[in-house]
Amino acid sequence: MTAVCALRAEWTKLRTLPSTWWMLAAIAGLTLAVGAAVTGSVDTSHCSTPAGCMEDTPKLALSGVQLGQVAAVVLGVLAVGGEYAAGTIGATLAAIPRRSTVLAAKAAVVAAVVAVAGTAGVLASLAVARGLLPGNGFTSANGYPPLSLADGPTARAAFGTVLYLVLVALLALGVGTAVREQAAAITAVLALLWIVPIITRLIASAKWEDRLDKIAPMPAGLAVQATRGLERLPIGPWNGLGVLAAYAAVALLAGGALFTLRDP
Amino acid sequence: MTVMAPYRSTVEPEARDGFGRLLLAEWTKLRTVPRWMLTLLASVVLMVLVALLSAAGSESTGQGGGSSDPARLQKIDLGHYTYQPLAGDGEIIARVTAQRGGGAWAKAGLMIRGSVERATPYAALMVTPGHGVRLQTGYENGGAGGGTAKAPRWLKLTRSGTAVTGYESPDGRAWQRVGSVRLDKLPENAMAGMFVAVPDEVEVQRQFGGESVSGNPADTGARFDQVSVSPAQPGAAWRDRGAPGGPAADPGVDGRTGSDGTFTLKGTGDIGPNEFADDSTKTTLTGVLIGQAAIVALAVLMVTAEYRRGMLRTTLAASPRRGRLLAAKAIVAGLAALAAGLVASFGSMLLAAPMQRSNGLEPPPLMDGTVLRAVLGTAALLAVIAVFSVAVAVIVRRSAPAITIVLLLLLVPQIIATGLPLSVARWLDRLTPAAGFAIQETVTRFDQAIVPWAGFGVLCAYALAALAAAYWLLRRRDA
Repeated sequence: MTAVCALRAEWTKLRTLPSTWWMLAAIAGLTLAVGAAVTGSVDTSHCSTPAGCMEDTPKLALSGVQLGQVAAVVLGVLAVGGEYAAGTIGATLAAIPRRSTVLAAKAAVVAAVVAVAGTAGVLASLAVARGLLPGNGFTSANGYPPLSLADGPTARAAFGTVLYLVLVALLALGVGTAVREQAAAITAVLALLWIVPIITRLIASAKWEDRLDKIAPMPAGLAVQATRGLERLPIGPWNGLGVLAAYAAVALLAGGALFTLRDP
Repeated sequence: MTVMAPYRSTVEPEARDGFGRLLLAEWTKLRTVPRWMLTLLASVVLMVLVALLSAAGSESTGQGGGSSDPARLQKIDLGHYTYQPLAGDGEIIARVTAQRGGGAWAKAGLMIRGSVERATPYAALMVTPGHGVRLQTGYENGGAGGGTAKAPRWLKLTRSGTAVTGYESPDGRAWQRVGSVRLDKLPENAMAGMFVAVPDEVEVQRQFGGESVSGNPADTGARFDQVSVSPAQPGAAWRDRGAPGGPAADPGVDGRTGSDGTFTLKGTGDIGPNEFADDSTKTTLTGVLIGQAAIVALAVLMVTAEYRRGMLRTTLAASPRRGRLLAAKAIVAGLAALAAGLVASFGSMLLAAPMQRSNGLEPPPLMDGTVLRAVLGTAALLAVIAVFSVAVAVIVRRSAPAITIVLLLLLVPQIIATGLPLSVARWLDRLTPAAGFAIQETVTRFDQAIVPWAGFGVLCAYALAALAAAYWLLRRRDA
């Protein structure tokens, strides 16, 4: 019973904040806008042959998630950091003293809303890309069938991308719970996500690049978007998402432990 | 009827809110929060760590020392050069009758230089198919001249002391001056001759969602006649500069043929900057991409922490003029970031140098103009980023969105750009605040999106626009 009450309370708190709706719109909108812009700007003109391009069109269509995830991070951090900033965390814990219940309810509500917004963004991106790609030379005749969820790898990329967004939001929620300060939590999560893509640009060694891409949350997690050339990936699609899930789990557990042990 | 006397403050002048006191107050607020000073320290440490990491990974991939690796060479000095000795002052005249192959920047013309050693000073007057007649020296792009003149063309290069002057003419009678350069180290016994050179063709190949860019050697050729060197040296023969470091190259693409005063030169490779060179200074300083996160967080918090705790009302009660408050915060944040940036960028360069040396690389010379511009520019970059962050924080008033917005604008264009076609990625690097990172460039590479100072200017424009918006909102809104 407490669990249902906690869920309802968290849902009400999340629902009645304007920032939540802004962030959800940003997840879907940024994913779609950046995905459409990237897809529209890539064509086959610099390929040896259109078929030789080996372009991973579903991945291209979903590349907007690289930006959309930032809104998921902010939403995850705000879900708990906002309560610390406003001081309502005291009232929340007075109503539901079991802290693990509070955190679990927050995680469930955040995961659900991010999943909905992410699904909207992913489906819209795929639909727009389906319209744009043939015009840029990625036609069936050149070996790029129209994007369709009936295609196994494409469906996996789409579903995996939604899961990616959810896991990033949960990672942010965990870090936000542990750190409590919004600014510090957002900076830390964004740095954690982006730091390795930046460092791999510096390191000329392919061996180290592969190693880093295996263990870093963003490159590993986004492996789930790959639909061709899987043997070239440093880590398999689902394994990569598993790496991100491990980060999110550790962050949630650490956040939960600190939440339980500390006074608000 | 009473006359209202204007209000005069009874506070002693030295106790009033002078701008200096305002700056001092902001500095005190920054200095006395231990976490903020730690953040400043963290940004320095992160930047230096990245520099050390990149220096450790910078092993020379060429065989037999770094200099044989083409990407390590900053200057290219190839092409074909056919010369005679030139003692003291004198001139060389020739007509380029035809030019073939190599594109708009294929070069055919006359060159005076002191030595046939690679990458030594020279002055070259050349005709190009697409960029007119130019006088080039050194190993930076451009050169004096221009226009639309093409072969056939008469060229004349004269030496007088250390000055070398180029002239061109359509008919060999009416000469027009192209430009003049000084070659300070030109020895008394120099050499004068004809040359051809051509830049590599840049080929972009897209595959597996990424683009690889490679330079393919192009070849060019030109025919010269009416060649005369004066003062003429009796019995002087034309000699050719050999292919770099080995036996002669393929005679089909490199060499000299001809008779009866007509010469046909063929060559491959360019004379000028290496557009594919590694920018080791920029690589050493890339830590700023990570270090900036701490600076952005700090500068945003200097504003938003006051909003959150209601401290801003106290601040504004003490200093009611809002423009001055904004200026004080921006100056203190900017100077703190500048100081951290100076420590970090000089520290990065100095600490990375021994590691680069032990990996067989020559570290960039710190006192070189462009390197110094990159090093000081990195610190200035952090200062402008801090000012921009303060302005965004005043506009948004909350730390979470302010930090996110600033980091998004600075970081994401560079990350997203890696998967985009080069032509689109360049526009991202020109139009977003990320253009500011161009100030770190010391090599004019083929993929340069914007020249260093212009890129820095773009970032400054963003910062100024944000400051103006912040000033307007701060005056208009209640705290």
